[in-house]
Amino acid sequence: MKSTRYSEKVLDHFRNPRNVGTLKGEDVGTGRVGNPVCGDLMELYIKVKNNKIKDVKFRTFGCGSAIATASMVTELAKGKSIDEAIKITRKDVADELDGLPPIKMHCSNLAADALKDAIKNYKDKQKLKVEVEEEIREHKEEITGEKKFLNRGVYNIIEDFSLFKDKRTLVLGRGDKSIEIAIELTKHTPRVVFVTPLKDISANTNLKTKLKQSDVKILYESKILEIKGFNEVEKVLIYDLNEDEKYELYIDSVVLLL
Amino acid sequence: MEVYLDYQSAKPVDPRVIEEMTPYFYYKFGNPSSLHKIGDDATDILDKCRKTIANFINAKKEEIIFTSGATESNNLAIIGYALRNKAKGNHILISEIEHISIHNIAKYLSKIGFNISKIPVDPYGSVNLKKIKERITDKTILISIGYANNEIGTIQQISEIGRLCKEYDIAFHSDAVAAEGLIPIDVEKDNIDLLTLSSNDIYGPKGLGILYIRKGIRVNPLIIGGGQERGLRSGSENIPGIVGMAKAVEIMKVEMNEEVKRLKVYRDRLIDNILGNIPKSHLNGHPTSRLSNNAHFRFEGIEGEALLLSLKDKGISVSTGSACTSKTLEPSHTLIALGLLHEEAHGSLELTSGRFTKKEDIDLVLEVLPQVVERLRKLSPLYK
Repeated sequence: MKSTRYSEKVLDHFRNPRNVGTLKGEDVGTGRVGNPVCGDLMELYIKVKNNKIKDVKFRTFGCGSAIATASMVTELAKGKSIDEAIKITRKDVADELDGLPPIKMHCSNLAADALKDAIKNYKDKQKLKVEVEEEIREHKEEITGEKKFLNRGVYNIIEDFSLFKDKRTLVLGRGDKSIEIAIELTKHTPRVVFVTPLKDISANTNLKTKLKQSDVKILYESKILEIKGFNEVEKVLIYDLNEDEKYELYIDSVVLLL
Repeated sequence: MEVYLDYQSAKPVDPRVIEEMTPYFYYKFGNPSSLHKIGDDATDILDKCRKTIANFINAKKEEIIFTSGATESNNLAIIGYALRNKAKGNHILISEIEHISIHNIAKYLSKIGFNISKIPVDPYGSVNLKKIKERITDKTILISIGYANNEIGTIQQISEIGRLCKEYDIAFHSDAVAAEGLIPIDVEKDNIDLLTLSSNDIYGPKGLGILYIRKGIRVNPLIIGGGQERGLRSGSENIPGIVGMAKAVEIMKVEMNEEVKRLKVYRDRLIDNILGNIPKSHLNGHPTSRLSNNAHFRFEGIEGEALLLSLKDKGISVSTGSACTSKTLEPSHTLIALGLLHEEAHGSLELTSGRFTKKEDIDLVLEVLPQVVERLRKLSPLYK
């Protein structure tokens, strides 16, 4: 079966998704699930009153079935108690949509997981259990290949920005200085990737805004495990801390500023 | 009315080709191996077609082997050459952005004792000669680089790569399926030893291709039988298909220049308008050294299959490099090799026009696409 042969119901929810948007407030639980390999990302919001789900909203980056399953789960959850809603399974969602292509059952059927995640988040909030952001130690770890490619694509210091002209460049660092360098590099090359192990950028608000408006591509919660190449840098192995996944990124230079 | 902008995936057979082929199914059904009149007629037409097709790429007719298509030609070229020449060495070079058939052939060869190196490309998909050179060893026997990329349309410096191979005395194979009919191909000028062509990609019938094998280059056959095609590809010749491909070549010779001019106008209109009118849109592939029929984009914050489905609803057929439409659920290896992240590769859209594309088709895409992108971005948590 082709991966895009969808039922009429799936197509209807794809074309006219129900409950698109976001919600805010003390009584709102947020779920966020994603599968970076398949490329789907889903955010789901539930508003709860007297243990009942009063409102649900979602946003999805993903394929047709990712959008349709999110839309369907919001319809299934609305009005249910949170104890009932948490029992909604992936299969329930797929069944309500008159089935999904087999290949999509796993990868693009995350909506039930997002709902469970949102309910959990709501319950945690009520317990006033403030989740303390796990402190990620930023001590200097040596990266495999760092020494081998030093000055052959790996740089600890930038003396001449023009050397980076049109080079796909990855910047690893922390603090304002490394962010300024990443932004400066965008004047010389269209491709600058900034890697940080943190969930958000730690810098003064001004600089943070400047970074987000720039062409710098930011990889949050990520580490470089290895620098690879032949005579010079050709790619890096990135570790996504959040998803516990490794992937390769093709790159020409790596600027290490730790 | 359906708008078809996926010529890279499949092309309609030119009606003039169908007309030329038709008599060969019933009236002229002979087998060239037979010794009677009907068999002789088949031999004559096979010879004539072989000459026509050889002439198209400046080859000699003895250098053309008919196959069932480009995938078989790639298999015969690479596996056939590797097996025949393994005494000389076991190292083969391909690029990171070769067609999937070549990647999988390489995977197979590495399992049976060959060493495969993959040459990375720059952000526009060009293979850098320096990177080829530094990987060549005294065990290198074959280099396979596609003439132009089938997805992003980047054209390689084939003459330079051919010269390099000659200098190092390494055989050079090029899969020219994406380029045929859009760029004049000359195996002499470009120093190509093995060249893959498909019939459908020049509006001929499906199920037919050729492998050009330069005189003096030796390959092992992969299909053994009655010894047709100089013993390199057994099986009774597909005469109607061969007649069709030869006719497709004849038409192409006359019409290619005008056709390419027309396609370039469509391509440039698509690129200029889409990059100009849709915010956060990017062109994948080379800005200038690209096939005249290829416009390949990515849109931040949205996913290709959702884009494809939305355009399908508006009657427009296109392709995407998104994982969600592939059998393996991996995004296109070509887009990843450009240095794109998975989420970026997922948001790609490939528009390839061809012989029967009309100006109105392009108009419709330009009218519909901005709305579709905007709607999907409104649903997306990644677009801010």
